Amino acid sequence: MPLAARNALIALGITIALVSTVAYAINYLNQARITEISAIQDKISIEILSLDTQFSLLTAAPCDSTASSTTLTGELADLGTRLAYTENQLGSDNPQVLQLKNQYSLLEIRDYLITKQLAAACGAKPPVMVLYFYSNAGDCDDCDKAGYALSYLRDTYPKLRVYSFDYNLDLGALKTLIQVTKVQDSLPAFVINGKVFYGFTSLADLEKQFPKGALATSTAKL
Amino acid sequence: MGLETFAYPFLFVAIFVESFILVTLLSKPAREARARTLNTTIPTVAVIVPCWNEMTTLASTCESLLALEYPKEKLEIILVNDGSTDATSSVMQKFAHHPHVRIIHKENGGKHTALNAGIAATQAEIVGCLDADSFVEPDALREIVACFVDANVAAATAAMSVHRPNNILQYMQNAEYTFGISLRHSLSSLNGLYVTPGPFSFYRRSIVNELGGFRYGHQTEDMEMALRIQQAGYKIENAPRARVYTKAPDTLFKLIKQRTRWTSGFLRNILGEYRGLIGSYKHGTLGMLVLPSALLSIGSGIMLFSIVLFKIVQHASAAIEIRAGIPLSYAILPHGSFDWFYFPASVYLLLAFTTMLASFTLITIGKNISKTPGNLPFSIASYALLYAFIAPLWLIRATSDVARGKRRGWRY
Repeated sequence: MPLAARNALIALGITIALVSTVAYAINYLNQARITEISAIQDKISIEILSLDTQFSLLTAAPCDSTASSTTLTGELADLGTRLAYTENQLGSDNPQVLQLKNQYSLLEIRDYLITKQLAAACGAKPPVMVLYFYSNAGDCDDCDKAGYALSYLRDTYPKLRVYSFDYNLDLGALKTLIQVTKVQDSLPAFVINGKVFYGFTSLADLEKQFPKGALATSTAKL
Repeated sequence: MGLETFAYPFLFVAIFVESFILVTLLSKPAREARARTLNTTIPTVAVIVPCWNEMTTLASTCESLLALEYPKEKLEIILVNDGSTDATSSVMQKFAHHPHVRIIHKENGGKHTALNAGIAATQAEIVGCLDADSFVEPDALREIVACFVDANVAAATAAMSVHRPNNILQYMQNAEYTFGISLRHSLSSLNGLYVTPGPFSFYRRSIVNELGGFRYGHQTEDMEMALRIQQAGYKIENAPRARVYTKAPDTLFKLIKQRTRWTSGFLRNILGEYRGLIGSYKHGTLGMLVLPSALLSIGSGIMLFSIVLFKIVQHASAAIEIRAGIPLSYAILPHGSFDWFYFPASVYLLLAFTTMLASFTLITIGKNISKTPGNLPFSIASYALLYAFIAPLWLIRATSDVARGKRRGWRY
């Protein structure tokens, strides 16, 4: 075999090995991301179940419970950010991503309900809660902007609870939530303390939809 | 399917070519070339310096030639004044008293005519060219001459690097030239060279005459001659320790002008008279691998640049759009601490990184083979930062010129 042909074959082998290693490394990294998200979800799931159980055990005096869903909400927000990044990397039609999004949405709904129940049972003023419905099926031009504006509000006002839902997700509990809140297929949509708003024009306009004083908390701006 | 998917075949080919160069560097012919000893027989040599308005650098070029470690009775230095309109002629006269320096004045006709005038004026066995903006190490000629032991060798090239790089652009070119040392050394061991650069390439005079001397060659007479040599079935060798330093363009405008000339010259030669070499099994590595890869590299350079540019603009415009109306104190600052989770790795980026890493390896090997002095880390850093964004500019310009039949002037 001529030297050039032999060298070309060796080079081809090296190239295939390098490209395969790169593809394997990226796949490994993506799987590690999914594993981490799963682990976080499992942890939150257990904590929510624990909170739920405590709430049931102390039906007579639920406010005596030292449990709080505040830290869980923070963890949920972090989980949401990671999930959004993974979805961006792997694609929104990836089966593992869809499975994680279903679980994440269930956790959000559960946290939302418990927060409401705790506030009602304790007679305390409930935190401002935003249900945000988006779509990444290419039919919502303003969803990215709305999502970023809500991230800003959530980071600036830590007591604000933002729950994001993919409107098109095939999940029974989510469909029921959409039915209950009467959100139409006109996205982005926001449910702020039970009132529904559609569309996003600017941060200032979004802020106007919040109850008076809801964003003027004692928490200092970052 | 993302836009970057189109880049995968090009990145695959780039890694393949770099692997091929590395494997060939380790092969026996390249190892033997590196172990080549200096000749005991000393042929007669003429070094031709074609000059057109070279008053600023010519004296240094001549000084470096006069310092060559070569028997003076076997060495001619032929300064050809190709109709200069500046003080080149008077600079030449300062060297007229050296017995082995000859000066030729002629009407301006282009570099190829100056070279032919020099060749016509000598009977030396080996003739070479040194551009008047280049300088050689004293032992360079002995290294080059050793390549001509094989009677089938028609030409030999040197190891080029940038003379005293002074800005980031010149450091970038220095890394590129040093990469070229590895590339030329590797490909020459398989007779795959298609250019004999102006700075210190040498030719067997009898073969040059047999082939009809230098031609205009679409402003790349060195490439045209190399292609003609290959077409005729002769060999082009490389002397990796024959160090030559050349002045590199110091501004982006000059660099793009110079490289547009080189690239359009390559395209015009290879798609014109020498089209038959592409894919030619008879011409081995040159026909089957080197020329197709060189052509593909022009297309891939433009394509990869376009993809990267499109992605940058797309991301930047999306980032600006979603941040509209958000306080700057939040919008421009990164949030959170470093987390491996968000490490922006993708197949595309890692393959691009692999290609870059292989390039850095070849640059380092080039420096070590040739024992070229200089600040390599800064050159590599400049190369990594700039080359991928600058090279496509001349590739696009040259391709556009060839497609439109546009011809530009020589001087940058």
